[in-house]
Amino acid sequence: MKRVSLMTLAAIAVAALALLPLSGAPYWTTFVFSVLIAYVLAQSWDWVAGEMGYINLGHYVFYGIGAYAFSIALTSAAIGSVTVSMVIAVVVVGIAAVLLGLPLFRLRGDYFAFATLALLPLAEVLTNNMSWLTGGADGIVLPVDHVLTVAFWLALALAVLSFITTLAINRARFGFALRGIRNDEEVAEVMGLPLLPTKIKALLLSSLFAGLAGAIQAWQMSYIDAVTVFGLNVALVPIAMALLGGSGLRWGPFVGVVLLAGIQQWLLVNITMLQATVYGAIILLIGRYMPGGMLRAGLLQNIAWLAPLTREHGAFVADRTAGQAAGGAAVAMPLDRIAIEPDAPPLLVCKDVVKAFGGNRALAGVSFSVGPGEILGLVGQNGSGKTTLFNCISRVHALTAGEIRLGGRDLAGLRRDEMAGLGVGRTYQIPRPFGDLTVAENVALSVMLGPRREAPERALAEARSFLAYADLDHRRDVRADTLSLQEKKLLEFARALAVRPRLLLVDEIASGLTPVEVRRFVERIRAVRDDYGITVIWVEHIASALNAAADRIVVLEQGQLIADGPPAAVFSDRRVLASYLGNTAEAMQ
Amino acid sequence: MSVDVVLQVVVGGVLLGGLYALVAFGLSLIYGVVRILNFAHGTILAVVGVMASVMFASWQLSPVLIALILVPGVFVIGALFYRGLLRPLERRSPLEATIGTVLVTVGALLILSDVTAVLAGPMQRNILLRAPVIEVGDIIISITQLAILAAIVVLTLAIHVILKTTWFGLAVRAVTQEPVAAELCGARSLGIKTLTFGVGSATVAMAAVLYVLTFPVDPYMGFGLTVKAFTIIVVGGIGNLPGALIVGVLLGVAEGLVGLFWGPEWSPAISVVLLLLILVAFPAGFRWRRA
Amino acid sequence: MMLEVSHLAVDHGKLRALWDVSFSVGEGQRVGLVGANGAGKSTTLGAIAGLYPIAGGAIVYDGAPLDSRSPPDALSRGIVLVPEGRRLFGEMTVRENLRMGAYGARARAALNEGYDRVFTLFPVLRDKQAQPARELSGGQQQMVAIGRALMARPRLLLLDEPFIGVAPILVDDIMTALAAIADGGVTMILVDQNIRRALRFVERASVIHNGRTVLAGDSAALLADENFATTFMGLD
Repeated sequence: MKRVSLMTLAAIAVAALALLPLSGAPYWTTFVFSVLIAYVLAQSWDWVAGEMGYINLGHYVFYGIGAYAFSIALTSAAIGSVTVSMVIAVVVVGIAAVLLGLPLFRLRGDYFAFATLALLPLAEVLTNNMSWLTGGADGIVLPVDHVLTVAFWLALALAVLSFITTLAINRARFGFALRGIRNDEEVAEVMGLPLLPTKIKALLLSSLFAGLAGAIQAWQMSYIDAVTVFGLNVALVPIAMALLGGSGLRWGPFVGVVLLAGIQQWLLVNITMLQATVYGAIILLIGRYMPGGMLRAGLLQNIAWLAPLTREHGAFVADRTAGQAAGGAAVAMPLDRIAIEPDAPPLLVCKDVVKAFGGNRALAGVSFSVGPGEILGLVGQNGSGKTTLFNCISRVHALTAGEIRLGGRDLAGLRRDEMAGLGVGRTYQIPRPFGDLTVAENVALSVMLGPRREAPERALAEARSFLAYADLDHRRDVRADTLSLQEKKLLEFARALAVRPRLLLVDEIASGLTPVEVRRFVERIRAVRDDYGITVIWVEHIASALNAAADRIVVLEQGQLIADGPPAAVFSDRRVLASYLGNTAEAMQ
Repeated sequence: MSVDVVLQVVVGGVLLGGLYALVAFGLSLIYGVVRILNFAHGTILAVVGVMASVMFASWQLSPVLIALILVPGVFVIGALFYRGLLRPLERRSPLEATIGTVLVTVGALLILSDVTAVLAGPMQRNILLRAPVIEVGDIIISITQLAILAAIVVLTLAIHVILKTTWFGLAVRAVTQEPVAAELCGARSLGIKTLTFGVGSATVAMAAVLYVLTFPVDPYMGFGLTVKAFTIIVVGGIGNLPGALIVGVLLGVAEGLVGLFWGPEWSPAISVVLLLLILVAFPAGFRWRRA
Repeated sequence: MMLEVSHLAVDHGKLRALWDVSFSVGEGQRVGLVGANGAGKSTTLGAIAGLYPIAGGAIVYDGAPLDSRSPPDALSRGIVLVPEGRRLFGEMTVRENLRMGAYGARARAALNEGYDRVFTLFPVLRDKQAQPARELSGGQQQMVAIGRALMARPRLLLLDEPFIGVAPILVDDIMTALAAIADGGVTMILVDQNIRRALRFVERASVIHNGRTVLAGDSAALLADENFATTFMGLD
């Protein structure tokens, strides 16, 4: 109910705002205009930062490029039309975003933030020096007059479109992909998400809104120069606004913009100097006391009537999954049974696989194969190369030498995100859930990013059957980082199955479990093969579990294969006992 | 254009580059130990430079005395800044900690520049000492410049010796490489981080007093310097002093030559372009410490 | 008893990693902690060394509760951890690594004695003093790690998986050195995934499973105990 009323309220407010320029109050019209532009900038910035986790401190560069492209086009004798100039601005900004994004997205964290921030002084130097194009330090005067009303409407439309786009991103597969990247991009990639194209798309979308905002602002002001559009203190204001409200929250940038713009206006009227100091102090205090934003501060979270504004994304998802049926006793997964033919060629063939890190050969020429529908146990001491082997199969590492073939296809040259499409699902020894997403979203991401690219609604519904299969459905709406270690392992298992694998790589999923829980896993692993025809490679230290589950055991020692055969034979091999069991069995005899 | 002019520019570039390197040492120490990228790092030079020139103009204090007053002051303020505003953020989630430190240091940058501009004026200033000059062929070098060069060399050596021989220096290197192991050896991380933040800031303050003796400073030049210092440590390697010195000098000379042949307005672009090119070419080079 | 751990619980963030661990170590004893990966052995050592705060239970050391807020607190009472994976300062020389081990006030005074002691135990390091630690082999790195801990003049030495990544020939050398250190009066707690090797070295051991001590006893008795085989190996 509350959500509906909030949206209705917003619609009424927009309609009322649209009448403002006609009221004959140019001062207030100009002020609200600047707030709208700031909102577009803050909200579009947050798609890359709040959703995807890349802090682009140079967002304002796109605003400036948009403003300059528009102004140059409008003042050139050949063009002169406002509409055409806007289109040109959009195109130029789009090209700039792709060209800048390609190199910048090779960086992460602080480095990304720093490199993007460095774009601002660079842009300022370039505009000041390329006088033939930009008018240099004199700036550009536009031949326009009395456009405030139309510019206001354009800005209002763009602001509304920004909010609608935010809602759309929240619901879309694209938005889930961005949140996957924010949490753990390698896991998202192994699930089947091509990283660079997704990041570029997000930057492109965000930069286009910023560029349009720049063009509209330039038109309204009828004058621009480098300091106005690339200056450090103006450039950081929209970002501070989004962070003040709460980056990544639906209403965060909006609340932040309204508050900070209000304060800014008050300061403008009431104090004449040290304005940058006050901005600086606000930014500093947000950083020190509320790096998550005001709407995430405990104080506000507990106020009931603010609840619609402070909801995290997961809460919206929980709404959507709550009413749906299934789950509980129904533990069938929506997987097609893979037919196992008796004398089919091996599914996976590793031949002389070598992986070296510097001088250390983690895998020193390992060869074995796995038949379709086989359960292979992989054992060896810590550091013997088991996880490295998994990483080679899922293309997290490229091989130093040798080859790996899946279904006859050489994996060399394939990207990580192509592996899910080939039917490889994996779990991680140390669970790597997408921490700030719900359990249901975690599994739904596998379904969405995987080869079938399901829409979120279907994926969330489907996720429940995988969760039910892993006995985790009752926890579906909690944040994944609040799960216990055991629950996180179950989540790993559900996520790997949701990729719809032909080959399932299971890495120490039963370690640390009670004997009863271990037996449940043995049953599950066998059922995955018996009921769905999935081939399994299972790394585990618990000999009894592998003894019960596996058809065949392969033993690694210091990167080399020292045994390969049926469990009974391997577990009685003296060399295996010496290496893997630390001679306990021998000592017990 | 004669060879002498080029040489004259190279001399100026070496001096400027040496000062860049000093700024970079401070950033490198802090980043290595505290893992915080201080966006306000270069702004310390701008502010201290302006203060030094005001002190010189108003009270005719000797630059040495000015340094003796300002450098310990900056040490204390740097340490307090870390303890009061940055340290508490370490308890938060990694993303919030990153956002928080970026905001706090960017906020500090804006405040420092603005307050300085309001109090001292936004114009460029420097300290003009009347010092005799030496002529080598047609190249003119002032005694002041020689003194600055000597100071850079001495400071670099001093930092090197401190890092190599003192317990504090040993601990700084240990924390940079393996923070957990350093704690296990008995090094208290809070104290070392606080000291390092102070020392790193004080290094910039020393560079500032030297800088303002030959080059003009203004309240807003800080961020450009931070970019340069960051470029230097990225290229030279974090914690690698000789590397930073070489890269700093090369950058200073390159800026001088670009200014000479293309026009001084292009000089500020070099470090940014260099930084972006290098980041693009070797992004993995910067993650190795975290791995 | 020198060290008494009773009903120790430790949290990693919001998650409880250790539920209920109890064991004791007498002065001069060698005690082992064994159990599967992720059972909580490293966490137990970390809690004693001051790496993790205690969430429940108590650690009593020399008759007084051990409530270290950080490793330097534990170190000042003579407790030193050789961490899993060695964690050497790779870019620093072997000698600098050892010197860093003597960072604590007490050990600084006896720096030269410390070097002598380490080079007597591990003569091979004497010639490698000036080499960066990362250039050493796995076994030699482990020697540096143990040597670095010795520089702090420990009374209680905690060894977390000291044989991982060590070539088999060097394992014996290190074992011999550890025995010599123990004979010199240093108390030890050893965590080793190779259970027989561990039991050969220690006098008593405790089995940790899922963050709880489930079994304890003399090494010989443990090896003979069938229950022990089931719990530790998972061989039903």
